Amino acid sequence: MRRQAAIAALVAARADAITITTEQAIGAWRAAVPEPANHIPDHLDIVGCMGSASTIGLGIALAQPHRKVIVVDGDGSLLMQLGSLVTIAGAAPANFYHFVFENGVYETSGSQPLPAEGKFDLHEMARAAGYAYSAQFDDAGAFASAVSRLLNRHGPVFVSVRTEAEDGFLVRSSAGTRLDVQMHALRERLVG
Amino acid sequence: MVNAAPVAVSVSADAIVHAILALGVTHVVNVPDTHQRTVLAALAHESRIRLLTACTEDEAIAINAGLWIGGQRPFLSIQHVGLLAALNNVKGIAMDGQIPTCMLVGYFGRDVTRTARDNAARAIHLIEPTLDTWGIPYFPIEGPDDLGAIGQAYRHSLEHLGPSVILVGAPTS
Repeated sequence: MRRQAAIAALVAARADAITITTEQAIGAWRAAVPEPANHIPDHLDIVGCMGSASTIGLGIALAQPHRKVIVVDGDGSLLMQLGSLVTIAGAAPANFYHFVFENGVYETSGSQPLPAEGKFDLHEMARAAGYAYSAQFDDAGAFASAVSRLLNRHGPVFVSVRTEAEDGFLVRSSAGTRLDVQMHALRERLVG
Repeated sequence: MVNAAPVAVSVSADAIVHAILALGVTHVVNVPDTHQRTVLAALAHESRIRLLTACTEDEAIAINAGLWIGGQRPFLSIQHVGLLAALNNVKGIAMDGQIPTCMLVGYFGRDVTRTARDNAARAIHLIEPTLDTWGIPYFPIEGPDDLGAIGQAYRHSLEHLGPSVILVGAPTS
């Protein structure tokens, strides 16, 4: 499926969840939401600490147990800190939803293939790590019809979204607000 | 042969946990450190603090950030080699995100008869120069008289919105 179709379905279902995007998902998310870039409420774009979007989201989910937290991750990013699957499963936040977009490449650096691409299975890894639920989709229609149900499950939920490799334009064009400005603004909104 | 007098002596886990509790800490995020095993054992039975275990120190720093963004008062417990392993997130999250990140760091394997800088082990004698290079403040605990370092380091991280390190010189008791 095309990444943008899956992102659009996720944006449509996000309701008032706190959302966190990283790497390949940042530009696609910005293109899909109605809000202007850098002014998306209750949202973080994570760059500069590859692999950490999910554990930042874990901390927020534990701190704000009555808010859903959606992390939109990439396969290369997750592989940077693969043990985080076990850390998240161990902390077991019921309000945590981890969507990993799998395009099989390091898109920002020129779409080099991931090591062992085609041989590993993140969906099965998440299940084996102890996530409460894990699923995988490679069809945009099936994903769009399932996403609301996924967000009503008891977390932590892992969803592998298998997409086609794309040209990287949205990734390369997604420079945004400084991390400190984003993080402090979100804290202000959450805590006051 | 005469045994050399220790430079660093043990501090009790109860005293360290008491100091952490006095700061209103809500969560301790750790990657288990042999040097601080008694502190971790005490925290595991402390109902006023949630002890979270991460697989890597990079993860621990990220979790700390999320907890702080969400309004909690987190604190970290890691080992000195874990600090070196996590420098990417010390920079990428604690510094770039301006996140209070107070780390209790054990010098596992240190020869306590020598200062940290004089230790033969490279990973130990490189810690303070590394922190100097990065401009990260550190507060040594070389014995019970230094327990105030915990509060100093924690307050520094909150006031300056960044990392601070408490260096635990001898294994806790």
